[in-house]
Amino acid sequence: MVETAFPLANEQVVVSAHDLSVFYGETQALKSVTLPIARNRVTALIGPSGCGKSSFLRSLNRLNDRIPGFRLQGRVRILDIDPYGSRVDMIELRRRVGMVFQKPTPLPMSIYDNVAIGARSHYGLRGRRLDEVVEQALRQAALWDEVKDILRRPALQLSGGQQQRLCIARMLAVDPEVILMDEPCSALDPVSTFRIEELMVELAKERTVIVVTHNMQQAARVSHYTAFFMYGELIEYGASKEFFLSPKMQATEDYISGRFG
Amino acid sequence: MESVGETVFIPARTGRRVRRQIIDRVLVLALTALAFASVATVLGIIGFIILKGLPAISLSFLTSPPREGMSAGGIYPMIRGSVLLMLGTLVLVLPLGVLGGVFLAEYAGRSTLSRLLHASIASLAGTPSVIFGLFGLAVFVLMMNMGVSLLAGCLTLALFTLPAVVFTTENAIRSVPESFIEAGLALGLSRWQLMWKVVLPNALPGILTGIVLSTGRAAGEAPPILLTAGIYYATGDLPRGWDILKQPVANLPYHLAEGYRQGGVIPEAIVWGTCLTLMLFVLLINMWAIIVRTRVRRKQAW
Ligand SMILES: Nc1ncnc2c1ncn2[C@@H]1O[C@H](COP(=O)(O)OP(=O)(O)OP(=O)(O)O)[C@@H](O)[C@H]1O
Ligand SMILES: [Mg+2]
Repeated sequence: MVETAFPLANEQVVVSAHDLSVFYGETQALKSVTLPIARNRVTALIGPSGCGKSSFLRSLNRLNDRIPGFRLQGRVRILDIDPYGSRVDMIELRRRVGMVFQKPTPLPMSIYDNVAIGARSHYGLRGRRLDEVVEQALRQAALWDEVKDILRRPALQLSGGQQQRLCIARMLAVDPEVILMDEPCSALDPVSTFRIEELMVELAKERTVIVVTHNMQQAARVSHYTAFFMYGELIEYGASKEFFLSPKMQATEDYISGRFG
Repeated sequence: MESVGETVFIPARTGRRVRRQIIDRVLVLALTALAFASVATVLGIIGFIILKGLPAISLSFLTSPPREGMSAGGIYPMIRGSVLLMLGTLVLVLPLGVLGGVFLAEYAGRSTLSRLLHASIASLAGTPSVIFGLFGLAVFVLMMNMGVSLLAGCLTLALFTLPAVVFTTENAIRSVPESFIEAGLALGLSRWQLMWKVVLPNALPGILTGIVLSTGRAAGEAPPILLTAGIYYATGDLPRGWDILKQPVANLPYHLAEGYRQGGVIPEAIVWGTCLTLMLFVLLINMWAIIVRTRVRRKQAW
């Protein structure tokens, strides 16, 4: 697809940004970022607040479009889709590229409908088949046992951590090939966090996971590759083991050892 | 207990402090008085109407038609007419107003067209209701040959309420949190699904309140129906089926206006009774709006 830069010698590139710059009006959020991402692996994006991690993720599924003043330069490829090409089918793009946000955002409908809405709309599932998909998604997100008896209740009555797992289930029910997670565990307790981390590893067997996290241990635990951003630039990118053991850049070392504010 | 150093400085400070305290007190007093005055005015008006109107009101007043050439009996046909007018207005304005609001909020964007639309709807919203009445007379009653009728009245009232409904819908839609919209988009919902499943349910309490409040306001307006739907003589009977739309209807505001104009045919007690009934009618509608809103909100566990 794209020239496989640096660490991905033996990998299949499934998402790639080439010379990607993102602007919001006068602010430049990303500066010529070139970042290929490996298929069926977990890639962690780390870096200080405001360095452009969310901007990168949201550029991949075109969620930035609604922001006034948003502008993008460079090339993006995801799966076999050119998201910014003229013939892109946005619905198809977002079916194949799922997203989980930092803040849980259950929709104002029942727990069941929250999970079902995507599967219903993309695959026309109904009745028993839909029930199965919903149950499976909820099980994968480690929420089934807690909600199986209250599926008709409004989703907004769930606790914050349950809501986040519901959002993960909702995303899984659409069966995406690439999963974008923007600090998915920041509202979760340690037990739920551990479950979600397990889930990421599990999902990466047949899907590509890109996760933004502020938690270095989490990045080290779950990811195969890690990219470090600062001030909108990609500073360092590599296999997570080496990345955390022996970072090449001084800035990276300062950041992962907590010396950066 | 007090040190000498402090006592030396106290006189100067207290002087200023006392003055500030006095100003404070006076301001608070003045504001309280003003607040009381405005509340008292409103309560005074309501109390006056209740005092004057209550003696006339009884169950039979509310449920029986007028008798003896309008000089006795009840006002049942007028209440019924007002309810019909309001329901008809509601049915007409709901789809139009909501579609208009959705269009302005979601599709018109920040274009020149959208600004133009805003400006014209805003000026429509500020147009005196009598102008809508004349427009209704010219277009619905005469040009479109509807005659003075329930249908012409509902259409006129719908036009009169349309700007308010469009604006409340637009505002309700615009205040749906961006995070819900992003969640829907990220799931790959189509624009239509997003609107139908995510945005509208979220905006529903606001939209409903806006619609009920503005039709409630319209229900009390005399000018729009004076020339398009009202009738003075009324009996307990109504035509059957759709013919009902082609007939003029007696209604509360019209009855009030006529009560005055007919110079004494309608006894004063009945006029005041009608007045109180109209006030309660509008009050009930507004209470309904509040109940609907809290119900929907609670269902969403907002
Ligand atoms: N909607 C927006 N409008 C204008 N500027 C924005 C917007 N969103 C982000 N930015 C700017 O873009 C830059 C990158 O923001 P981004 O949200 O991508 O950072 P981030 O790495 O995700 O930070 P965090 O860790 O705090 O989530 C910041 O300077 C931010 O101020
Ligand atoms: Mg972010």
